[in-house]
Order: sequence, then structure tokens, then C-alpha cells
Amino acid sequence: MIPITHTWIPLLYLYGVGGIFFLIGMIIIRKSGAINLKLKRHRYWYRVLIFGYFYFLIFHTFFTLVGLYW
Amino acid sequence: MGTIAQVQTTFHDIGSSIDIIIMAVYFIVIMLFGSYFGKYNRSTKDFFFGGRRFAWWLIAFSIVATGVGSHSFIKYSAKGFQYGFSSTMTYLNDWFFLPFFLFGWLPIIVYTRVQSIPEYFEKRFSPSARFLATILLLLYMIGYIGIGFLTLGKAIMPLLPETITTLGLQFQPTLMGIIIIIAVITGIYITFGGQTAVIFTDLLQGFILLFAGFLLFFLGIAYLHPHGGLWSLLPTTFKLPLADFNKPPDFNFVGIFWQDGVAGSVGFLFMNMGLIMRFMATKSVDEGRKAAAFNILFMLPLSAIVVGNAGWIGKAISVIQPNIVPPNTSPDQIFDVVAHVVSSPGVFGFVMAALTAALMSTVDTLINATAAIYINDIHRPIKRLLKIKERTQKDTDKKELSAARYSSIIVTILGVVSVLAFKNFPTVYEAHGYFHSTLTPPLVVAIFLGIFWKRFTPAAVMATFLGGVALMIVGAKFPGILIRPFAQGIQMNAEHPYTYIRAFYNLVVCSAVGVAVTYTDGWFRQIVSKIKSKENHKAIAYSLTILAVVLFLMVALGLGGAFILFIYSLIVAFLVAILSVYFIVYDPVLQTEGLTVWSIQKVKESFKGGKINEREGDKVLVSWVLKEGEDGVINFSKNDMEKMAADQGDLVYISDKRAWLGGLKSIHSVYGKPHDKDGVVYISEENLKDGVFIKGKILKAEKEM
Repeated sequence: MIPITHTWIPLLYLYGVGGIFFLIGMIIIRKSGAINLKLKRHRYWYRVLIFGYFYFLIFHTFFTLVGLYW
Repeated sequence: MGTIAQVQTTFHDIGSSIDIIIMAVYFIVIMLFGSYFGKYNRSTKDFFFGGRRFAWWLIAFSIVATGVGSHSFIKYSAKGFQYGFSSTMTYLNDWFFLPFFLFGWLPIIVYTRVQSIPEYFEKRFSPSARFLATILLLLYMIGYIGIGFLTLGKAIMPLLPETITTLGLQFQPTLMGIIIIIAVITGIYITFGGQTAVIFTDLLQGFILLFAGFLLFFLGIAYLHPHGGLWSLLPTTFKLPLADFNKPPDFNFVGIFWQDGVAGSVGFLFMNMGLIMRFMATKSVDEGRKAAAFNILFMLPLSAIVVGNAGWIGKAISVIQPNIVPPNTSPDQIFDVVAHVVSSPGVFGFVMAALTAALMSTVDTLINATAAIYINDIHRPIKRLLKIKERTQKDTDKKELSAARYSSIIVTILGVVSVLAFKNFPTVYEAHGYFHSTLTPPLVVAIFLGIFWKRFTPAAVMATFLGGVALMIVGAKFPGILIRPFAQGIQMNAEHPYTYIRAFYNLVVCSAVGVAVTYTDGWFRQIVSKIKSKENHKAIAYSLTILAVVLFLMVALGLGGAFILFIYSLIVAFLVAILSVYFIVYDPVLQTEGLTVWSIQKVKESFKGGKINEREGDKVLVSWVLKEGEDGVINFSKNDMEKMAADQGDLVYISDKRAWLGGLKSIHSVYGKPHDKDGVVYISEENLKDGVFIKGKILKAEKEM
């Protein structure tokens, strides 16, 4: 039996604590006007940034499941 | 092929003479390739930044060799062999800080035209902040170069015979001897090539490296196939993508998260001048964003496989053939051993050439970046201080280019000397982890707060550098007392206490000092105004300076217990804050405008020299025609300018139409007065020289802003 400290706790910590840093970054760049969502190009980048967070979250979740059950 | 017992004890003659020949040929080809691109350097701007001209894909691929170079193959294969797929962790945790980088640091560093990180510190804070940042950054860069050289030496050592006989003389290759030879080879092409050479050699090496890494992976899979395959041979814990939360001390998730995911990611994106210079070599900020995002989303996951797979394959072979790869194989040797076991003569030489090339790429990038810091933060300020001026800009450029080349040589030598400080660490991974968690936090905190917090003051940054470092030293001396509360359950290894999680402690103390001094700025001003009201205020200030120096030295020398030294460190931070307020002239409006994320628009306007034109236009194809004289602009037809949605005075980027050149033949300029000949651009002789355009070749133009 693999302990949860080797599976889901690191995952939650990574995307929880890492997610807080990410969220602060997204809030700062919006509030400061560094990213201007009125511009098409910036809207594209905003979506890419959010996509990247979930891309890595799904990646790690998928491989944790594959490692455990396949 | 020998058994591992032999490999462990005799580290010599792995591979055949064919392998050595292939490696030698590879090195010569790379040197010639790099030297060829030296012709594209016409100034220090080109030498260091490649002239801000390249397409995102070219930079994204050239970053691969830098990202996976240096210590990567050796150290990630080692951890892959010991712990499995979780060796990939550090390649997949960089996204969290990307918003800060793409829309904060990248536009600031490009639009402010700062040529080094310390220069930013001077603009944002003060010359004294620049001085401390230069010292910390040089230590960081030279240490990094040293680790790169050490790894190169360790990778090549097993390939050489125990004794080399040449011209009747016998030599016994030593680690330092090998490193010196490598340093000479590295120095040659960086010195004569510059950043453009580095970008193009890295581009070539990036492709070869990916190919070689995957070749090794597939050879390994083929080797294991008759025995049930890689997947079935690995234990379940080896198949998990993240390490155990807090054990063992030499490889745990939470320690590596703070050391690499936080300090390392910010260091990688914000502090690694080698990498930043690559992004600055892209033709625009948007292209830099594309290069960074593509690199993290796609290239780093691929790189994680490339650098770690030898360890995974080594573990699987150790399960089925422990006589060939015993489970107790030294982790730092597993890459060489597995490459030798799974590949045939010649292929092994090619794989090792790719590895050493990758190692060299990181080292040469760092040497180039360190030379840039030397020119910008030591050479130029000294010349300003001594009031030395060249007659023309061309003379200045020529002298600086020559100084840049000499400084590359000196930095290379210092890098070799710094190997002495690292060569006694048990593994490269630990040496690098310790180095990273110790040297990056003060700069990471200072850069980060400087960019994203307008209120962050020079007093706060100076206190972060000196008070923070003092608290870090106390933590390093008393880890059981000070770092343990941050360890989150990690057991302390007495020999190497808290190798990774110390980054968390270091980040917290540096941030705490910076934040506390910023919030108490008014209070420090009151104290300083009271001091200044005294007649002997200068004597008081100098006395406090001496006291701060003495206390800092007491902390550095460890003269006292944990509590006393901790208090001394806080006093150092307090005194530094007072002295900074006393000595530093700071304008909080002027010195934050365009230098924090809160005023990006201002810095864009100042970069352009006018209002920003955000209208979106198309690219146009044009033929170039030479015009008389040099007026600093290029001229398009009215219709072409309309297509590009450009106005007179806007910035334009024009390049050879052939996309595969990636912007090598290109220039930046300004739209001048339009004419009536559609499809024609008038350029000057100087533009032609800068862009290295070819007669008859069509150019592609686009508005930058």
C-alpha cells in the first residue's frame, strides 16, 4: 500500500500552494493593467496562462493514477 | 563492457576509440559553427543580446540545451535511478510564476533597456543596491559555471584511459585537468562567437540533444523489451510523478518544492541572466512570451524524459541483470553506465557528445551572461567613475567588445577555480540543491518585491541583502533550531542538514526583513531626521556603519550562540535600514515609474518615445532599396503602412522573408515619411550592415508598437 504522503498530498500541496502563487500573479497582472483584456492578444495570453495551470494539474493527476493502478 | 564493480572502481576506458573520435569531431564542428556566427556581432549589444532580432521558435529550441544542460543529465539520471519518475518534478513546476514573468519582468527588462539585473537595481533603488546585487549575482553565476564544469569533468572522466601516452610522455588524466581542457575549448568559441554564436550552437545542440536523449530512451526500452518492458520492471513507487512528501532527506517533495519550485523557478525566470538574455534576443516581447510558454509547456516535459530516462532504465536493468547494473551503482555514474550498456560503439560516442555538448551549452551561456554583468556593472561604472570617454560610439563599442571577450576568459578561469568548492560534495544533485537554496533567496526576494511592490524601498532591499543574508547564515549554523520549524516533517541529516527545505527558511527570513522594513519606513525616516538634526550626524552615521559591519562579521564568523547571533542579525537589518535611509537619495515616484508592474504602459511609451499604437495590422512583403545618408528611419509606401496599421514614428521590425532564418537577417527601426512606391522599403547603408540583407531577397515587415 502506497502511503498518501507519496501520492495525493504532494499533488494537493503542489497545486494548492503553487496555485496560491499563480493566483496572486494573475490578480497582480490584471489589477496593475500589465495585461489588458481589451486587447485580443492579451486575452489569448490570459487563456494560455489558465490553460497551463490545468495542463500540469491534469498531467500530474493522470500520471499519479496511472502509476497507482496500471 | 565491464561489470559495475569494475566501473565503480576503475572509471576508465568506457567506450571505444570510435567513440572518442566521434566526440572530438563533434566538438570541432561545434566550435567552427559557433565561430561562423561571430560575424553577426557588431557591438556589445549583438555580442550579449544577439541584437533583439530572433523568432520565438529559434529561441525556444536554443533554450533546450541551456535548460537541460549543465548538471541535468548526471543529476536527474541519478535521481531517476534512485527514485523513478519523480525525477521529473523539477521540470514540471515552473508554471506558477509565469504570469509574473510574462507580464511583469519580461516587458520591464526589455522596455527599460537594462542590460543586466544589477542595472535594474540601480534604476529601481540605488547604486549601492546595484553593487550588492552584482556581488550576489556574480557569486551565483560563477558558482553555476563551476558546477557545470564539475559535471562535465565527471561525465568525461570515465571515458578516458587511466594513462594517456603522447609523444613518449605519459599522463594520468585528473578531474581538474579534464576540466581545464574543457574550459579552454568552451572559452574559445564563446570568446570569438558571442551571444549569436551561443544561440545558434545551442539551437543545433538542442535538436541533437533531444534526439540523443530519445535515442537512448528507445534503445533502453528495446533492451528491456525481452524481459517484460520498462514499466513492468519498475516498482510502483518509481512510477509516481511526485516524490514522497517529506522523506527521505536527500529527495523529498516539500523540500524540492521550495528549493526548486519556488526559489528555483523564480531564479530560473527572473535571475538567470543566461536565460533572460535569450528572451531579450527575441524580436519582441510577445515573441519572448511565446518562447517562454512553449518552452515550459512542451520542451521541459520532453527534456525531463531526455535527462532522467537513463536512471529509469538503469533501475529496470538492475532488477533483471544486477550483475551488469548492480542496485548499488553510484548514482552519479548511472548515465554513463546505462548509455554504454544499451548502445553500440559509435552510438555511445554520439550520445556522450550530445551530453557534453549540452553541458557546454549551459556553461557557455552562463559565461556570456557573466561577462555581460561584468561589462555593465563593473567596467562601465568604473569608466564613469574615472571619467574615461572614447571619442566615438564606435570606439566605445570596439573597446567594450574586446573587454567582453577578455572578461569571458577571466570568468571561465574563475569558474574552473570555483570547482574546488564543489568537488567534495557527495553528489552533483546535492551540491546544486544546496547551492541553489542558499544563494538564490536574497536576490529572488529582492527582484520579486522590487517588481511587484511599489512600496518596496532601497532601505528594504539593502536590509534584505544584508540582514537577510545574516539570518540565513545563522540558520545555516543552527539548522536544528531555526530551520526545523520550517522543515514540515523532514528529518535532519546531520552531515547535510535540510539541503532543500532551507530554501523555505531563507525565503521567509529575507521576505520578512524586506516587508518589515518597508512597512516601518516612516519610523526609520523619523529616526534618520533626528540623527540629521544633530551636529555630529556624520560621525553618528559612520559609527553605526562600523557597528553594522562588526555585527555582520560576528554573525559570519559564528561568534555566539543561536539566540545572540539571531539578535545580531536583526540589529544588522535595523542598522542597514537606518543607514540606507540616511545615505540613499530616493524618489519613490521617479524610481518606480516604468520599473514596476504597476506602470508597464509608461515604460512602453518611454521605450517607443511616444504614444503606443495598439491597432492591429498585417505583415507586408517588400523589396529593399538603398537610400543616401543615415536618418534613423526606414520608409514604406502609404498603402503598405496602412496595411500594417502603422503611423510615422512607430517602431518597425523587418526581416528576411525566409522564416527558417528565424530573424538572423533582420533589423528594428522607425517608420519614416511614407512614399508612393508600394512594395518597396528604403533603407540606409547602416541598416543593410546590421540586417546582413542579401540583394534581391524579399523582406517581411511588421509593426512592433
